[in-house]
Amino acid sequence: MSAPALLEIADLRLSYRTESGAVRAVDGVNLELQRNEALVVLGESGCGKSSLAKTLLRLLPRNAVAPEGVVRLDGEDILGYSEERFRREVRWVRIALVMQAAMNALNPVIRVGEQVAEPLRIHRGWSRRRALERAAEAFSEVGIATDFLSRYPHELSGGMRQRAVIAMALVTEPDIVLLDEPTSALDVLTQAAIMNVLKRIKAERGMSFILITHDVATSSELADRVALMYAGQIVEEAAAERFFTAPAHPYSQMLMAAVPKLHQQQPPRPIPGRPPSLLDPPAGCRFAARCPQRIDRCSEAPPSTTLAPRHRSRCWLHAGGKR
Amino acid sequence: MSGESPRPAERAHSTSAPTAAAADDLTATAPRRRVSELLRDLRRLALFAGKRLLALLLTVLIGVYLTIVIANMGGQIDELRLAQIENTVAEEIRADPAFHDLPSERREQLLNDRMQIEIERLRLDEPFLIRSVDYLRQAMLLDLGRAEEMHSDAGSRQVAQIILERLPATLLLFGTANLLVFFVAVFVALGLSRRYGSALDRSVIALAPSSAAPAWFYGIFLILLFAFVVPLLPPGGMVAAPPPSGGWAYAASVIQHMALPIAAMFLAQIFISIYSWRTFFLIHSSEDYVEMARAKGLPDALVEQRYILRPTLSPIVTSFLLMLIGLWSGAIILEQVFNWPGLGTLLFEAIGHRDTPVIIGSVVIFAYLLAVTVFLLDFIYALLDPRVRIEGGSA
Repeated sequence: MSAPALLEIADLRLSYRTESGAVRAVDGVNLELQRNEALVVLGESGCGKSSLAKTLLRLLPRNAVAPEGVVRLDGEDILGYSEERFRREVRWVRIALVMQAAMNALNPVIRVGEQVAEPLRIHRGWSRRRALERAAEAFSEVGIATDFLSRYPHELSGGMRQRAVIAMALVTEPDIVLLDEPTSALDVLTQAAIMNVLKRIKAERGMSFILITHDVATSSELADRVALMYAGQIVEEAAAERFFTAPAHPYSQMLMAAVPKLHQQQPPRPIPGRPPSLLDPPAGCRFAARCPQRIDRCSEAPPSTTLAPRHRSRCWLHAGGKR
Repeated sequence: MSGESPRPAERAHSTSAPTAAAADDLTATAPRRRVSELLRDLRRLALFAGKRLLALLLTVLIGVYLTIVIANMGGQIDELRLAQIENTVAEEIRADPAFHDLPSERREQLLNDRMQIEIERLRLDEPFLIRSVDYLRQAMLLDLGRAEEMHSDAGSRQVAQIILERLPATLLLFGTANLLVFFVAVFVALGLSRRYGSALDRSVIALAPSSAAPAWFYGIFLILLFAFVVPLLPPGGMVAAPPPSGGWAYAASVIQHMALPIAAMFLAQIFISIYSWRTFFLIHSSEDYVEMARAKGLPDALVEQRYILRPTLSPIVTSFLLMLIGLWSGAIILEQVFNWPGLGTLLFEAIGHRDTPVIIGSVVIFAYLLAVTVFLLDFIYALLDPRVRIEGGSA
């Protein structure tokens, strides 16, 4: 393979204990992320993409079973870190998060500026003044007037709050910014504005992004690479232009056919059926039940096949299962 | 700039919230504008305070008037009083040897005259409705008047004196117990909310129904156990008889006497309080901003203090203040069980003696305390939570 990956996830597994049994939300995920790369993790609701994000930052609910597998950041397995070491050395220092519900991600009784400056004061021990100056820089970077630093969250609109949360993720200059559905609660215009901000920051700062979303159209703005998740597994991982134009996996193909495009003649085609339950996923290929190209071997679990450098798919069609 | 620059509506808002903006060095506003904004803000504050005071006064007025009507049984108590006066006067005349020789019609005359004097003194000849308004006026002016039957230990018949004499005992006992329960409950609950589902957590929940029994119920058993089966502590009272002379010895004796009632109250309240605070903290620690704070790598103590406690301070302070003024009424049965000379016992005696001025007096003071607390809370909320803004004025 090429340069050593910034982040390498190997066979990551996470399950939740529930009354009806273990829900395997993340079931053997392999991913890698290079520096200055934007990886989009696509997937429909409930496919485990948010659980993946939560696992990376260890923000797991109480009923989660400790994750298994390997998560290497610059070659070091951060999954094995102690809680305290993880807090000091990974959270916000290496990986920052922009939450799904950014509307509610700010403490309502603390001024926005203080919250944005907080990681600097905690992780770098900066003075309040210095941290606020840096926060002001981050604010102008994401396009909010700096006098909003002294406002409370309820005085900001949804789009501004989301920008403030992004500014908060940038202040400590982490290696990776994890964006968990950063625009799903916003209107289309604001979504576009936020995506533009992210694109600019990526170009200027050379940060890596992991964007977790279900929104194919918006994600294509930022993506260098795409990983498509289905029922707790990555079914295809490819460069963005490859994925959006010539997807390999049947699910990817159907997904792209379901996305409405400008000047499209035929109506978009929905994918029939629903994803399997993660409580008791099917033994073979998880997409088999909805797949039009289903073959006999699909009742066995397909291996992850490398189609081209950094292009992998989990399908018997590519693993030579045709015969 | 793509997307949204600060919207006009938000600009307007920024001028309508000058307290936040003016106080902050990050906002550079022209000083003159700042002064005019401050003045307008003060005016609005005064208007708000005036409205609230008026509303609270009206509430107190209604509450006190209802108490007056009820404590006088809507005027029914006058008949009891008349009978009582007749009895007392007749007894006085019968017992006085100077009147023994009078003929019976002169005696009758004397009886009527004296009764008339007493009735006029108590203004029982006027209709109750008119007197009730007068009582209300006196009560609202905190002119609590004289007790009918009771007197303070020092011999005063002033209701204010009688109440003041009992106040320290109640404050000492219930203040200690409630503060103890409050702070222990809040901090244990905060810890438990972190260890949600642990064995400790579950045992506290299992013990919560123990609060179904009132404190005096536990008190009876505690007295039995620790005063009689194992005679370690005194069964009741506030201080040993005769009271020890030295200051320290006196204090030690009071503490000994307080131990059992405090233990009873603690037992009766602690588990349910921990349970409810724990649930409260659990709800608030699943807020998104708490998760965000954890993701930011803040130490647990800071997350707890700044992201769980700080945003929930308003309800915590509310229940703390309501608990504090709740001390005023004492606890009738608990004080009886432990023979504690506090306000609860006083109220019990006052009801027994149908001493309406004492009953009304203590209710009036409680009503005022409640009103003042609610008034204060309005302002504390605004200080604690920036989202609570004073409404009014045309922005």
